[in-house]
Amino acid sequence: MKVRLLSHLSSKNIFSHLPPVNVSKKELLSHLSFTFALEGISRACSHQLVRHRVASFSQQSQRYIQVRRLKNHVIIPPSVAVKSPKVFDSLIDEASDTYQALVDVGIPREDARFVLPNATETNLLMTMDGRALMHFFGLRCCIRAQWEVKELSDEMLRQVREVEPEFFSGAGPYCFQLDRCPEGRFTCGRMGVVIEKYRV
Amino acid sequence: MRLTLIAHTPNPEAMIAAAMLTTTSGVKPSTIYERLLANPEKVGDVISRLEVQHGSILEHNRLVWLLEAEEQLVLDTLLKTKFFNFTRLGDDEWLMSANLRAVLEYSEECEGELGDSLRDSMITVTPNVCHFAGRRKT
Repeated sequence: MKVRLLSHLSSKNIFSHLPPVNVSKKELLSHLSFTFALEGISRACSHQLVRHRVASFSQQSQRYIQVRRLKNHVIIPPSVAVKSPKVFDSLIDEASDTYQALVDVGIPREDARFVLPNATETNLLMTMDGRALMHFFGLRCCIRAQWEVKELSDEMLRQVREVEPEFFSGAGPYCFQLDRCPEGRFTCGRMGVVIEKYRV
Repeated sequence: MRLTLIAHTPNPEAMIAAAMLTTTSGVKPSTIYERLLANPEKVGDVISRLEVQHGSILEHNRLVWLLEAEEQLVLDTLLKTKFFNFTRLGDDEWLMSANLRAVLEYSEECEGELGDSLRDSMITVTPNVCHFAGRRKT
């Protein structure tokens, strides 16, 4: 996985043109913009990303791009790598052979892709405004988030804090942002440890 | 009404071109973007093939304005598009922002002073996109 903040519209850039204003940072967040290149993540992960609707995505198309050597372009969850890599590999081999066979007989890529697994690697551009990003971090940095999207969001947070420390020092999982856990009966019960991890 | 563009995402046309190529090539988006930054002519070439109808590629940016206008204009704008953000800075003074897709669609669909001023901003920030959008309309 590679995460890179490619471009952003900084608060400095905006507010240097304004007279001092009495407006909360929370209100101003929606005017900031962040564009990330997210590379080498699984389709399972990108499915979670696109559920964040206040965002923009440009993702590699499986209609236009033929998947070659699928085995070299899959994300393998750590649990699978430890416990049953052979079972996983056999499915990947089968999917790869079936996909290639379909393409070889002239099935359009847009149809052949139906046999590709969620593990298939993808690359995309994602843009969020500051407010949407705070919400994204609130949900996806949570210890209960799925490992891949959590790893991704933690790295995004690290890079955003570098460029906008004033606005994002308070960003992180919702327990860190709110000083209470909103997960109800699903709480991890380790709020103190989590908060300490995200404290700047 | 007075609209002043105060900031925008750097290199918006290179990002639009990178978004276009990301969807259709196997090259990683960060690599595409780097290559385009180093080759502005290529950016123009790619933008000239822009299909504005597939609008999400125009969304990887943000333009920010200082708007001096009465509350009614802000309300009218919010009723016409849900993709503009406003923050009240003072009496009849607003911080306004949107991405290029929202701006393009608003300026194409809505007659009036605000639409005209937004079009002027676009010509400044993304001249190639405006050229193409103008060509598309004819």
